[in-house]
Amino acid sequence: MNRRRDLWVLGGLLPAVLLVQGWNITGYPAISADEGTYLAQARAVAAGEGLAHYTYWYDHPPFGWMQLAVLGWLPEVLAPDTLRVPAARVIMLLVSAINLSLVFTLARRLRQPRWAAGLAVLLFGLCPLGVALARQIYLDNIGLAWILGAMALALCPRRDLWHHCAAGACAALSVLSKETMFLLLPAALVAVWQGTHASTRKFCVVAFGCGFVFTVAFYPLYALLKGELLPGRDHVSLLGAVGFQLFGRDGSGSVFAQASDASRTVDSWLYQDGVLIVAGLAALLVAVFFRRLWVPAAALAVLTIALLRPGGYLPSMYIAQALPFLALLVSGCTALLIGWLLDQRIRRPGWARFTRRTLVITLACWAIAGISPLWWHRDARAMTVQANSSYSECLRWITESVPADSRIVVDDGLWLDLSDRGYHAIWFYKVDLDPEVRVQLPRGWRDVDYVVSSPMMRYGPERLPTVDDALRHSRIVATFGAGSDRIEVRKVSRYREGVTR
Amino acid sequence: MLSLAIALISIVLFVIAIANLYWTLHAWRTPANLRNTTFPAPDGDHSLSFSILIPARYEEAVLEHTVTQLLQSGHPDIEILLIIGHDDFGTAEVADWLAYKYPDKVRVIVDTNKRKNKPKALNTALPYCRGDIVGVFDAEDLVHPDLLTHVDYAFRATNATVVQGGVQLINFHSSWYSLRNCLEYFFWFRSRLHLQAEAGFIPLGGNTVFVRTDTLNQIGGWDPSCLAEDCELGVRLSSRGHKVVVAYDAVLVTREETPDSAASFFRQRTRWNQGFMQVFRKGDWRRIASFRQRALARFTLASPFLQAFTGLAAPVGLIVALVLHLPVWVTLLSFLPGIPTLAQLAFEAAGLHDLGKLYNLKIERAHYVKLVVAAPLYTLVLAGAALRAIARELVGRRDWELTRHVGAHLT
Repeated sequence: MNRRRDLWVLGGLLPAVLLVQGWNITGYPAISADEGTYLAQARAVAAGEGLAHYTYWYDHPPFGWMQLAVLGWLPEVLAPDTLRVPAARVIMLLVSAINLSLVFTLARRLRQPRWAAGLAVLLFGLCPLGVALARQIYLDNIGLAWILGAMALALCPRRDLWHHCAAGACAALSVLSKETMFLLLPAALVAVWQGTHASTRKFCVVAFGCGFVFTVAFYPLYALLKGELLPGRDHVSLLGAVGFQLFGRDGSGSVFAQASDASRTVDSWLYQDGVLIVAGLAALLVAVFFRRLWVPAAALAVLTIALLRPGGYLPSMYIAQALPFLALLVSGCTALLIGWLLDQRIRRPGWARFTRRTLVITLACWAIAGISPLWWHRDARAMTVQANSSYSECLRWITESVPADSRIVVDDGLWLDLSDRGYHAIWFYKVDLDPEVRVQLPRGWRDVDYVVSSPMMRYGPERLPTVDDALRHSRIVATFGAGSDRIEVRKVSRYREGVTR
Repeated sequence: MLSLAIALISIVLFVIAIANLYWTLHAWRTPANLRNTTFPAPDGDHSLSFSILIPARYEEAVLEHTVTQLLQSGHPDIEILLIIGHDDFGTAEVADWLAYKYPDKVRVIVDTNKRKNKPKALNTALPYCRGDIVGVFDAEDLVHPDLLTHVDYAFRATNATVVQGGVQLINFHSSWYSLRNCLEYFFWFRSRLHLQAEAGFIPLGGNTVFVRTDTLNQIGGWDPSCLAEDCELGVRLSSRGHKVVVAYDAVLVTREETPDSAASFFRQRTRWNQGFMQVFRKGDWRRIASFRQRALARFTLASPFLQAFTGLAAPVGLIVALVLHLPVWVTLLSFLPGIPTLAQLAFEAAGLHDLGKLYNLKIERAHYVKLVVAAPLYTLVLAGAALRAIARELVGRRDWELTRHVGAHLT
């Protein structure tokens, strides 16, 4: 009976949240570099070409896009004429549905009342950051599903040894989907601890450890068997890539330093959705005193500490893995507060029942009135703004005006679309960094026919001399959009000196 | 072709090892499971009478201690029947003295069979049992005084035909194999047997086993030609639908020692394996109605062999895949059977910790190291014993190789 009511609540909330997340999913937000990369890698997996469309260099573990590969056919059936990357976002809607359901389940298993679990779903699903991030093809969203699943399994009331083993495997799959999920492992361990009985805890912890270690191990094992575990001459390596991700990348600076990349990223999060972040961090301070909030509290605490460490690289989607726990903390603390206010057993002289109820209702109205205009405004933007029309127009122009089999250097937002239409598309990033691609271009920029210059290409952090040369020796033949977001199609001429990028 | 074969073998081995691990960990699967493995608290009533059978062959060193200990039992209505071979004068002397000392409680039964073994000895004594319940102990067992009171209540509370109590090897520090041997018993009696009892197919243990006397007489006692008479009796009873209850309690458990040398351990294993084969061939288990139970029966009786050969075949498959440069996915698959094997080691470490806590034993870091380091050699010995059992069964050698006891668990 209880479970059926849970299903009714979740079944009512899920379509509403998914409607907000799904409406205009192709139009907003603008295509980001990673989306195209992961999708192209998924395509390579599905086609049996290997783990990536270019040489796989262990930049991320491949399990995330292997899952995308399984559902890769879906967008091509649903929206064959839309740009590949935005169309593929429909897959993320499915992932989001799983994440929302798991947040609800987790809230219930953390002994939050049904309405609070519903609140967590609304906070997680409707906060503007959540809406924007859930739409994008980010491995974080996929990894999140597995780690939330791991926690839900670990807190299963049956306290079954094999559920803990499965939880360990899920945690491993989460890390294999996106390596930063490793930061959520301590929270998963708290869940294991709380989800076990003292008499069988030892065995359950071992089961979790076995599930985790023996699943994760297949990744380094794969690298070892390919002879790509240790760095060496003339080949990519897992440890080399890990070293690069941890130490080789330019740091984003301190969060507290003015005008550092990290502080800009944090500012943009706060601009998009300060409410949930601030409320969640405040709830974290309260949560320390309540056992039942320790799982989300541990998650958020570790993520915050990792964020504050100076000098690391801070990707903009880092916040994605914090959102469900922010939501769970806020809903959990709200439940505690309201439970305390309405508790009949506590005597409060002079406090009539009526007064207490009025107080609760007033608080609720105040919170809703405070948040909803802000969220309404941003979510409405997500549901209406067309941020990818330049890409669509650009693609249409190229198919009409550029001869097939031309060599076009593009970003990953268009790579799949152009490759599918018979062009020799080259991902700009690989022109200088992948030896195999350099072999295809023996005369460097002179072998390139067109360059599609997009914001991703112009503002990328890497130095790419061949791409720069191609840009310098080209002229604009078509422009789409305006200002810094414009997309230019440039024809490369062997004899021309042009502008730099 | 070779790739496919290696992949297939790896997956089969993986499934076998996982199933084995799943059953081994039955007791710890949920807290409820663990609670159900203990004896129910007795009501203090002693309405059943017990006949305790102790077959003793060349056991003069330990017999007196065992009987004295048994006589301190809190149960008032017991008799002890010592079964002594007509040619074993040393043990007979101790037995006669005990019968003289406790004339109301202890009797000596002389086993005059020309070729002696444990089932024949037990069958010799069966007609002389006066109690409602026949219990079997070995001459070197350490029995807790309250055990019979608990068994008495377990019979009455569950209306079972058989109650199997826990047996625990305790001298984990004696030799390189004793630690693993102790843990094997721990996992078997603490966990696996309970699953077997629930599933309705159970190979019983050799001692601390209690059967209603009338049932035992009805089915004609033990099979005198079987090398694993305990297993055989359990299979025969459970396949005829008799209810078997297993209870494990660290305080009440019967304490034993491991075989005194690796050779003796090897012979004991050979005998058990050969016994399992005999039970399998005898086919009483085929009378079980449900397909699932029959499948479990097949798997249980074959498991000493499966276990031995997965231990050997898994590394061989891995080496073949590595040496012959098979495709990466095949090599990855050939690592699969290693997973449950390593997981088992991890769970054994947890079990060792549990064992130390339950029995107040001082488990040190070196013991965990020993647990891991001894694993390959132990597997090799088990595999050797399995092979030897098959060889002996093929040439028809079915004589009883006795396990000698020195009393290492008494100190």
